[in-house]
Formats: sequence, structure tokens, C-alpha cells
Amino acid sequence: MIKRLTFGQYRCKDSFLHSLDARIKIIYVVVLGILSFGIKSKFEIVVFSLFMACIVLLSKMSFKELIKNLRPFYFVFIFLLLMYLIFSRDQIILGLRYIWRFLLLIIISMLLTYTTTIQELIAAIEKLSKPLKVFKIKPRNMAVMISVAVRFIPLMFIRFERTREAMASRLADFRKIRHIKLLVLNLLEKMLRSASNLSDAMHSRLYNEDIESRKFMKLKSCDYWSVAIIAILILIIY
Amino acid sequence: MIKTKNLYFKYEEDIILKNISIEIKEGSFTAIIGANGSGKTTLAKHFNALLMPAKGEVLVGGTSTKKDELNARKKVGFVFQNFEDQLVYPVVEEDIAFGLENMELGNEEIKKSVDEILKELNITHLAKRNVNTLSMGQKQLIALAGVLAMKPKCIVFDEPTTNLDEKNKKSIMGMIRSLNKKYRMTIILITNVLNDLRYADEIVVLKNGIVIFSDKKSKLESSVLKEARLYD
Repeated sequence: MIKRLTFGQYRCKDSFLHSLDARIKIIYVVVLGILSFGIKSKFEIVVFSLFMACIVLLSKMSFKELIKNLRPFYFVFIFLLLMYLIFSRDQIILGLRYIWRFLLLIIISMLLTYTTTIQELIAAIEKLSKPLKVFKIKPRNMAVMISVAVRFIPLMFIRFERTREAMASRLADFRKIRHIKLLVLNLLEKMLRSASNLSDAMHSRLYNEDIESRKFMKLKSCDYWSVAIIAILILIIY
Repeated sequence: MIKTKNLYFKYEEDIILKNISIEIKEGSFTAIIGANGSGKTTLAKHFNALLMPAKGEVLVGGTSTKKDELNARKKVGFVFQNFEDQLVYPVVEEDIAFGLENMELGNEEIKKSVDEILKELNITHLAKRNVNTLSMGQKQLIALAGVLAMKPKCIVFDEPTTNLDEKNKKSIMGMIRSLNKKYRMTIILITNVLNDLRYADEIVVLKNGIVIFSDKKSKLESSVLKEARLYD
């Protein structure tokens, strides 16, 4: 199961997008995400789609990789299309536009994880969430929370597989609700125990939620160029 | 190094540790042995201030853990039985740096310490690896590296060889011994394997939360181990 989780996995390449600062890329995901749902006319959709095609080229993501990464979403696209076909056939063009925008949004977020390492992402989120200190949200807590999720989600899948196999070897039938319930409860218990162990381990290594990030980040000339490109795109569309 | 005075610990209504008074000497290799459920891990967690006594006290370097938790955690490192759950960050070098970050060391110092530990344990090639892709033996080494990087005076190893194969068992036990012999680090080994006692010079035997023996290994008699139900 873990092998199937390929959405936007980081690939080490020497591209313009890879060289951008992770903070800038996160901001772009938000800006482009909003833009992708703000575009309405055919002209805007064409311009935005061409822009996205250029971005994909700049990331050095191959067409094959793009299709492979989108594979988990095919079902959603087909489902949405079927809903339009069944319930509002007269608005099928509108439906296709929505699906296209949704596809663009997925590509935008996929490019972020494709071109940015987890460490860079965590450091960027930590830096960007500094203003949240006003609301007593600690950036360090956020960063550690994401790290722990990144670390433990694959482990959860491995444990799920192990438990499922152990139950299956003793003739469990996963069509029965009782057995599914047992599988879920067993997994939940293991994950909660792991969480408790992790909490102990963090305390024993002096976990301190108040310290500042030690990662140093500085904007480069390519980051400023990218701001200019995005600004031009916004001007063309609006 | 560590002293417990009339230590009691209760979990809900159950008394887990009863009237424990032991001393772990600086530079010693102490094995705490007992059958499953005898309270070994519960006792060890008191040394790191992860648990606080219901009655009595635990002194680490002369200071009560109740008064200063951080002092205990700086002086006593803890390598957990489920070391897989001990790793916080997904990348090896980041995980080793976790404790050092918490000690608020500078970037240069953290990098230097991490590099030193990686080199010392011969795992420099693992620095950039994702911890989820490592073998059990390698994960155990990373857990140990994370603790060693903080330069504690004493390390508690909670059943360190449970999930390892023979080759990794030998390698980890060899490493623990060399920490004690070469660097004079105080070692506390939590175990239920009689064979592990050969490494220790001081032994503490626990039975149902009570210390039934605490002295030099040479004074340990087989009747004590029988009483602790460590063999028939």
C-alpha cells in the first residue's frame, strides 16, 4: 500500500522550480490556488493553463510522471463528470471547466512537493507561521507536528498491513464489519501506544517548544524573478 | 550518580514500585533484571524524570527529579525499548540533532556534534536517509546516536536487543560495553535475559515492584534469580 502513495513525491532535479525558496513556493501554491478558482472566461482558462504548462516544464517533471501522479484522482474526475452527465447534462461545459480547474489545483500542489524536500517544507512552514505567535500558536510545535506526521504515516500503513496479514492468516474475513472494527481498533491502539512512546522520547530529549528554528533561509535572485513572473500573470488575467 | 530513596509508584490503584532504595554509582555498569511486569521500565523512567514518585524521591547528581526535571534529562539519556517510536524526524541527521536543538546550541555546534556522532558510530552514510527505510539495527543505532549527541553522563538502555538479530545484538551490546569501558559512561541496562548479566558489574533484581537484590554481581546467588522467576 505504501508503494502506491506516490502523489507528488520529491525528485532531486536541477530545475528553476527546485531552486526556488520553499517559503515562496508555499505562498505561490496559495496564490495560484485562489487564481485557479477565480478564472472564468475561456481566455483566462487558456492563459492560466499555458502558464501551468510552462511551470511543469520548468520543474522538469516528465509527462509520464505527471500522468502517474494524477492517477489517484482519475476516479474523482470521472465521478464528477458522471454527476454532471446524469444530473445537469445542459451544464456539461461548466462541469468540464470545474474539473479542469480542479486538475490545475492538484498540479499546483503536486509541483510543490515534487520540487521541495520535506525538510525545506517544514522549515518554510515554521518560518511562515511565525506571525501566528500572536495567537499563541508556536511555530516549533507546528513544524514538529508535520515532521511527526511525515515520519509516522508510512509507519501506520506498514502496521496496518502487518495487522491485516496477521488477522487474515487466522482466517479473518474483511467483509465482516466485526473484523474491520477489530482491525481498526487494533491499529488505533498501536498508534496511540506509539504516540505515548514518542511523547516520552521527546520529553527525555528535552523537547522545548519555545526555541526558534535553526534553519537559515535567504531569498535568491531566482525568487525575485519568479515574483515578477507571477505578477505579470495576474496582470494578464485581471 | 543516581539514588532512589524509599521510592513508591502507583498507577491508578495498583502499587507498581514499593519502597525502592538503590544507588547507581558513577561509571558503573548496572543491570536491572526482573521478569515481565516486575516494574523495571517504570523504575528506569524515574531516572529520566519521565515519571515522578508517588512517595520518596529520586536524586540525579544530588538533585531531586521533582525539583529539576531538566537536570535529570540532561544527565541521563534514555534509549527506549520501542526505539522505532523514539525517532522524531524523518531524516537521520535531523533526528540526531533534535535533542541538541532543544538544548539551544548554535547551528555550527549542532552540525559538528552530529557529524562526530555519525563518524563515531560508523553511520555517516546514513546521514541523509529517511528513517523509515532503515533496518531495525540501523534504527537502534540512530536512537542511540540521538541520545549520545546530547553527551549524557549516564544512559538507560531499556531491553536494547529485543527486536534485533544475533549479529545486531552482539554489535549493540559491544557498543554499550565500550561506552562504559572506554568513556567511563554510567550504563543502566534493563533486561530480562540472564545472559546480559555478564556485561554488568552491579545487579538490581526486581520482583513484583520490590528490590530483592542490589549489590555487586559477585554476590548474586542463583536462588535470588529463582525467586525472581527468571528461571525454574
